[in-house]
Amino acid sequence: MSEQYKILHPVKYFRDHLAHKIRPDGREFGEYRPIVVNLGSISTADGSAIAKVGRTTVVCGIKAELCQPKAEAANEGFLIPNVELPPLCSSKFRPGPPTEQAQVATQLVADILKNSDCLDLKTLCIFPDKLAWCLYADLICLDLDGALIDACVVALMAALKSVTLPAVQYDPALDNKQVNVQERKALSVTNTPIATTFAMFDDKILIDPTVDEEDLSTSLVTIVVKEEELCFVHKPGGCVFTEEQLLKCVEESTKRATVIEEIIETAFKSL
Amino acid sequence: MPVDHKRINGPEISIPYQLFDKLNTKSLKTQFSEIVQPNGTRADGRTSTEHRKIFLKTGVVSQAKGSAYIELDQTKVIVSVFDPREIPNKTDYSSKGEIYCEFKFAPFSCHKRRLHQQDAEEQQFSAIMKQALESAVFRHEFPNFQVDIYAMVLHNDGAALSAAITAAGVALAHAGIPMYDLITSVTLAVQGNHLLVDPTLEEERLCQVPLFKEEENNHGIVVLSVLATHEQISQFYQSGYLSYACLSSGIEMLTNAAKDIVTLVKKCLVKHVIKSVRIVED
Amino acid sequence: MSSPLVCLPGQRLCLSDPSHVSGQGTYERGGYIYATLAGVVDIVPKDNVQIIEVRSSGQETLVPSQGDIVTAQIHTITQQFCKCYIKCVGDKVLGRQYRGILRKEDVRATEKDRVEIYKSFRPGDVILARVLPITEAHTYQLSTAENELGVVTAHSEHGGLMVPVSWTEMQCSKTFVKEARKVARVVPESVQNDVK
Repeated sequence: MSEQYKILHPVKYFRDHLAHKIRPDGREFGEYRPIVVNLGSISTADGSAIAKVGRTTVVCGIKAELCQPKAEAANEGFLIPNVELPPLCSSKFRPGPPTEQAQVATQLVADILKNSDCLDLKTLCIFPDKLAWCLYADLICLDLDGALIDACVVALMAALKSVTLPAVQYDPALDNKQVNVQERKALSVTNTPIATTFAMFDDKILIDPTVDEEDLSTSLVTIVVKEEELCFVHKPGGCVFTEEQLLKCVEESTKRATVIEEIIETAFKSL
Repeated sequence: MPVDHKRINGPEISIPYQLFDKLNTKSLKTQFSEIVQPNGTRADGRTSTEHRKIFLKTGVVSQAKGSAYIELDQTKVIVSVFDPREIPNKTDYSSKGEIYCEFKFAPFSCHKRRLHQQDAEEQQFSAIMKQALESAVFRHEFPNFQVDIYAMVLHNDGAALSAAITAAGVALAHAGIPMYDLITSVTLAVQGNHLLVDPTLEEERLCQVPLFKEEENNHGIVVLSVLATHEQISQFYQSGYLSYACLSSGIEMLTNAAKDIVTLVKKCLVKHVIKSVRIVED
Repeated sequence: MSSPLVCLPGQRLCLSDPSHVSGQGTYERGGYIYATLAGVVDIVPKDNVQIIEVRSSGQETLVPSQGDIVTAQIHTITQQFCKCYIKCVGDKVLGRQYRGILRKEDVRATEKDRVEIYKSFRPGDVILARVLPITEAHTYQLSTAENELGVVTAHSEHGGLMVPVSWTEMQCSKTFVKEARKVARVVPESVQNDVK
């Protein structure tokens, strides 16, 4: 019977749960879902990771290619993230060009990378103005159950840490490149930004919302923290958060970030 | 190439670094003899008729009606199936439902980076998948609607199409879509008088062109999908050149291999049924 | 209860003869009955005949078909018809909602020409309706021209839940304002089962 009730009166169903201080999936308001990270399972990529936040699954594969640096930034390489929400991950999507949600997510991830400065693009340069690495980081969502950005950032950071690049010998006079695939070096990732999403519903703040909670909520906010510093906040419209509520969210996300960072670190060590 | 405004684009030209690796100067013939012994033993220690170890799991995508994940050693494919939906751009009544298949390689799944848009090979594989699955599904149970099946290859190490078809069959059964039969698919790579069941990517590559000119120049890839109980072939795809005798022995090998996989598929589905029955009883 | 008989698509269940008939979730081919779903076999005895059925293990995949009673939510109303989304078939929840259309002449069985849509349904109402024969692709035609069909739950303009007071009116539980609806006679579940 509860199934019919849920589909016919979703808002009331949700409100009834929250009135009893519990969320439809049995969590408390401030309780986040378990996080699982797996590194380096795809050997065709130069670095890869799978991140699960609850049931939301994102796989990130990084492929490196050689290219010429931009004229305006002659001593920098590239890091190109793209978030893909294929129709496979949810019944909301249809085959075709990226949806608005995917485009927003892509831009957000790119902004987070830029703001956190976690990877110095100068380290990707091989020879100024001539040769640099271009890292294509493709994030594919396999199961969309809310908190997409959180999972994307975890997958991306874990994948970046697992990237190894082969040694390149470049002769600028002859424009001759020689790659030694056997001799590989890891990237130097300086910090780990971690995103945490909150949903607001009737003055109640829910951490790490599921997709149903996201759809019903009146406002969402994503807070990105790195090393106890605030590095990015995204709040796309919706109702008002008071200052107090927002500070509480920042505090919660800082706590969660340390936990996740440790999870990534352990996954990296077991690689 | 037109600029894709909906994604972040990299530099205009970028080249895979593998091209600048110290060249592998060995001839394809020596490469082939390195990975396949004359007696049929392969680089990973399998005999020519041996299938790789399979890992199969249902219910991996929570948002889908049915889903399956398959691993053939390194090859990894995930498939999800959704509830019937209205067929877009169609106004007339059709008594049979349709099946829509989309087969996609993840950009990082192959040696060369794949683009986001479906390329010709992926479209061809989608069509083959549709052909294979159409005859296994009760299409008159959902007139006017289409069932969407999406397959994503996360890691391609050969036989990705077969893996996708087998997984799609499991995902359909998991979704509770009425089917005539269970469907399984196996790939065969042929080179000279070597018939290799379930080839790896390397083996697939070396079977694309004839290497042994002096012998019969049999070479190519065969993908065969079998309906288990009724012993019917629902799909057959072949590229390259095969003599009649070689083909018939190849098909026999494939049907035998498919039988072995069916047991695994059954085990996986029975596990799922028992699990859900327990939940209902509790 | 004995341990359930698990079956898989394409599994041969038994011979098809006058005393064993293929039911839901099965098909007949070459004198045998086969399963079409992964699930549990159910043998239903009925007048000396055993109907072999298979119940799906998870949620069934089904689409509304002619004659089904469906639960739908009104989406928009016009002078001539109202559009709605079908959410359940019988007591089974659908995985995806399907579009339905309810025309003015199918609202009630009597005085069809005096029906006014806005006096019968409002957007947001949950209704019970029967699926009419399918003529066009894409939309289901619905009918509420039976006593048991019509509005089941509705909210007044003020947002209060309404209770039926007659065949044609419902009253808001907060403001006691009456609004016109084509009300369904809701049969208690226990009685409904007896009728079946």
